[in-house]
Amino acid sequence: MFLSDYISEIFNATKSLLKGMRRTGYYFTHHKQIITQQYPDVKQILPERFRGEVVMTHDEKNEHACTGCTACELACPNGTIKIITKFDILPDGKKKKAIDTFIYHLELCTMCNLCIEACPTDAIKMAQNFEHSVYDRSQLTKTLNKPGSKIKEGIE
Amino acid sequence: MLSLESITNSIHAWLNNTFNPTLALLLEFVIVGTCAIGLFTVLGLVLVLMERKVSAYMQIRLGPNRVGYGGSMQTLADTLKLAVKEGLTPDGADKFLFNLAPFIVIIISMLILAPIPFAKGFQIWDMNIGVLYVSAVSSVSVIGILMAGWASNNKYSLLGAMRSGAQIVSYELSAGLSILSIIVLTGSLKISDIIASQENGWWIFKGHIPAVIAFVIFIIAVTAETNRAPFDLAEAESELTAGFHTEYSGMKFALFFLAEYVNIFIACSLGAILFLGGWMPLHIGNWSGFNHIMDFIPSSIWFISKVFFLIFVIMWFRWTFPRLRVDQLLNLEWKYLLPISMFNLLLMTLVAIMGWHF
Amino acid sequence: MKAEAFTIDHLLFTIDHPPFTKNNHLTASQIIFYIISAFILGTGLLAVTTRKIFRSAIWLLFSLIGIAALFFWMELEFIAAVQITVYVGGIVVLIIFSIFLTQKSGNQMAKPVRSRAIFAGIAVLIGFILSYLLISQYDFQPAGNQPLDASVGNIGTQLMSTGEHGYALPFEAVSILLLAAMIGCIVIAMKADKKQETRNKAQDNTRENVQDTRDKNEENERIINA
Repeated sequence: MFLSDYISEIFNATKSLLKGMRRTGYYFTHHKQIITQQYPDVKQILPERFRGEVVMTHDEKNEHACTGCTACELACPNGTIKIITKFDILPDGKKKKAIDTFIYHLELCTMCNLCIEACPTDAIKMAQNFEHSVYDRSQLTKTLNKPGSKIKEGIE
Repeated sequence: MLSLESITNSIHAWLNNTFNPTLALLLEFVIVGTCAIGLFTVLGLVLVLMERKVSAYMQIRLGPNRVGYGGSMQTLADTLKLAVKEGLTPDGADKFLFNLAPFIVIIISMLILAPIPFAKGFQIWDMNIGVLYVSAVSSVSVIGILMAGWASNNKYSLLGAMRSGAQIVSYELSAGLSILSIIVLTGSLKISDIIASQENGWWIFKGHIPAVIAFVIFIIAVTAETNRAPFDLAEAESELTAGFHTEYSGMKFALFFLAEYVNIFIACSLGAILFLGGWMPLHIGNWSGFNHIMDFIPSSIWFISKVFFLIFVIMWFRWTFPRLRVDQLLNLEWKYLLPISMFNLLLMTLVAIMGWHF
Repeated sequence: MKAEAFTIDHLLFTIDHPPFTKNNHLTASQIIFYIISAFILGTGLLAVTTRKIFRSAIWLLFSLIGIAALFFWMELEFIAAVQITVYVGGIVVLIIFSIFLTQKSGNQMAKPVRSRAIFAGIAVLIGFILSYLLISQYDFQPAGNQPLDASVGNIGTQLMSTGEHGYALPFEAVSILLLAAMIGCIVIAMKADKKQETRNKAQDNTRENVQDTRDKNEENERIINA
């Protein structure tokens, strides 16, 4: 029957449209459950595995655990890390290899985590900082060891 | 009591006492023009902000909240940005028509403002044919859109303009028929008469089911006529980038944008006048106590709140429904809205003749 | 602002004069009349002389709007609104549509051949002289002071009246003509088998349908009234 089909079509269309409007109306009146992340004001808690940049951990005595073995430099697939080593003179007159500067090119890094896995002493790790924007790319070349820092006792 | 009517009357009297009639008339023209432009600006700012906030809340978002308190200055900042932007004209465009089109659109929406009563006795021109004038002049705005689309020398613009033309021309029919079904009841096209006839109740209540059907059809049709989602095929951003105003930038784009919102305001105020009694307070039959309380609310507040309620409904549509396809759009008009509204008009005539309305 | 302050008749009668008095000095109303007329004629001339077809349609549009303005000037608001709805909102839109659908609508049209231009000029001149002679010889009676009742209600009753000066017969004739046009359109559209084409045709014929449906509705109303 043509007419009854026509009318039932209109009826069903109206019903489904009203259903949709009820849904949005519900959201409109319940705006406490906002899903917007208010990023700069409220920072999201990132998952533990999130990789933002490579950092070198320093303890409170400004000591790190990097022996300058260059395992990370070798592990890096795109030459992000460059380690310049030097030889410290120990009190007993022996020379000991140590890092002078740990250069890290953030702009080249793909956050692949291979350097961290390669490190035998767990000197470097991935930090969660992701706000890396700067005005010049030279600022992305970072020195990871803090000035005046030295290697921890007992790490070979 | 201070009302808009008394203010305008005193201004009118003061001008006529101070200057000779011709000069007073000219001064009144200037005042009205300034008021209209001011209203346009305020409407643009308020409606765009309202749209963004409503859409945000409907999508469980926050919406603009950076500029000013709760984002209240956001649209002002946007306008400022648009005002200082360069208005580009594409190389292959028909420069004269390209630059003319936004002005045509905005002038048309300014012209339609003339018979809208914002409060009791607060109306620019209460002409004999008020409602017909609105629907006639608003049909010209499609020319501006077609002109913009063609003069841009861009296939997306042209497609958008053609869609818009087909859409506006077809939806004008059911809008006109639903307006007619109220005119059948009032027996006058004059807006003040239409409002006066609703003193003891609004037509949507007095006119039974036919009035409700006419109201629904009217709202659907004006949503389509103002090119708003779900009927925004003319500027469908996912298919046509921005349709007829793809090539416009800066202030010329702002004029199109403003005209869209002013058109919504005017369409909704027409709906409020015809179905919800314009500035008439809500009166229920013989409850004189209730009616008396309602009379205390100023007429301008009644009008504005009704209009904004309708605007909210239209925004509600926009943020709920997906966009129609072109064939679905034309099917909806020619196979559903038009036959229903014609039948509805007949029904309404029957109601009017038999005097079944209150 | 105040409603009555801005009606046209305020403008016309505060600056005191009936239209078309043979005063030597111009009144404001006459100036407005001349401005509107110049606008109509100027845009009309541009419509026929421009070599871009879309611009020509736009000038035609302005000319028609000018005519509507003239109706407003004569305080025949209903006719003016109908003029705008039918001509500007309907016919010009359809003209523009058909321009959009033709190829090379953006190109300049070729310059007319000189001989053709000369003949066209002569034809225009003869037509102008002829109409000037006719107008100058016809004794125009001023409409007098009794106001013309052009209210919507009056127009409606006149249109439906079967008595003297009633327009029921022409109205019905036009209705039948439009109905025939609509049926013709549907028949032409139906021949194409594909559904898609039917839709397109239906859309092209919009305006005729509009007019006809309106007429039909009025007719139906009348039948119910009777």
